[in-house]
Amino acid sequence: MKVTLKIFRYNPETDKKPHYDRFVVEAEATDRILDLLESIKNYQDGTLSYRRSCAHGICGSDAMRINGVNRLACKALVKDVGNKVTVEPILGLPVEKDLIVDMEPFFDHYRSVMPYFVGGEENPKKEQMQSPEDRERFDDTTKCILCAACTTSCPSFWASGEYIGPSAMVNAHRFIFDSRDQAAAERLKILNDQYGVYRCHTIFNCTDACPREIQITKAIGELKKAIVTARLD
Amino acid sequence: MQTRKIPHPGWNLEYLMFLFTRLSGLAFFLLAIIGVMAALLMGARYQMDLGTLMRWTFFPNPNHVLDSDIPDVTFGWDNGFWQIMQFLIIFFGGTHGLNGLRVVLEDYVHRPFWQIVIKLLIFVLWIFMILVAVFVVLGS
Repeated sequence: MKVTLKIFRYNPETDKKPHYDRFVVEAEATDRILDLLESIKNYQDGTLSYRRSCAHGICGSDAMRINGVNRLACKALVKDVGNKVTVEPILGLPVEKDLIVDMEPFFDHYRSVMPYFVGGEENPKKEQMQSPEDRERFDDTTKCILCAACTTSCPSFWASGEYIGPSAMVNAHRFIFDSRDQAAAERLKILNDQYGVYRCHTIFNCTDACPREIQITKAIGELKKAIVTARLD
Repeated sequence: MQTRKIPHPGWNLEYLMFLFTRLSGLAFFLLAIIGVMAALLMGARYQMDLGTLMRWTFFPNPNHVLDSDIPDVTFGWDNGFWQIMQFLIIFFGGTHGLNGLRVVLEDYVHRPFWQIVIKLLIFVLWIFMILVAVFVVLGS
């Protein structure tokens, strides 16, 4: 079948403002949108720019707006999006070129929540054990691949780049609810802020957008509860 | 997973208003149940007009009740208990709603100057609403 792609284009060196280009590509229903982009870049317009790496839904490089919905181009199939496809960069982050956005503001928020394990002793003498039940508690939020599909689908983040965003909170959740971690209180203090958990208005866009199907709004709800009760259940 | 206690992350306006919003939402259910039961006991069960029933439930003020078709029910509403109920309903409802407006403000107004101006207006409106509520409740 023939698939028509309408793609957001912007080259800061030559364009005053963004525009859209149309490309027609021969494709199978089971092809991925990333395959179509590769075909355009290889055979029609080598200047088309986008991020990709593993192409298997793990690295999180190719998050983009496909027909108005945040998806990974390597996981979105032609049969799921139809033969008229609009491809745009994710919203809320500055566009650098075509489908590439500046991810630094996103990673700044990620870094701000201490997304690393903080153990008790500096040189522990024995292994810190964790029961399967304790590990299960934060299993869902370990799946995050930092693709930014959630954060850039959130109207609160579109409105204010200062908002820490769902992805950073998911990664905070991953360590806060880890029974071995010792910095939960510090992370919750960071999130107990106007631009922390309170800017989440529970509209569930992030949960819908997550390509890893993480229950993000639920995780943020658990963070709110932990702040209010000062307990980690 | 065992429950772990952690130090409280600290008090701030956002935290307090977040808590208030949840508690006032719950309080509304309680106040509404008391209001609707009292309204039905005091004559609304003969009056099938839903609008009137809601008016009785959420603002049990003798003047409101007089406006309905049910004659002479002023006595049941005209006491300190219902005055406190009226004030609580207005306080919880108004504060809950205006705080919601404050919270979503930054989603729609991006310039810091206008954010400050509108937040100030919301605060003045809140004070004005509380004062009018006290006047109406005590004056009824």
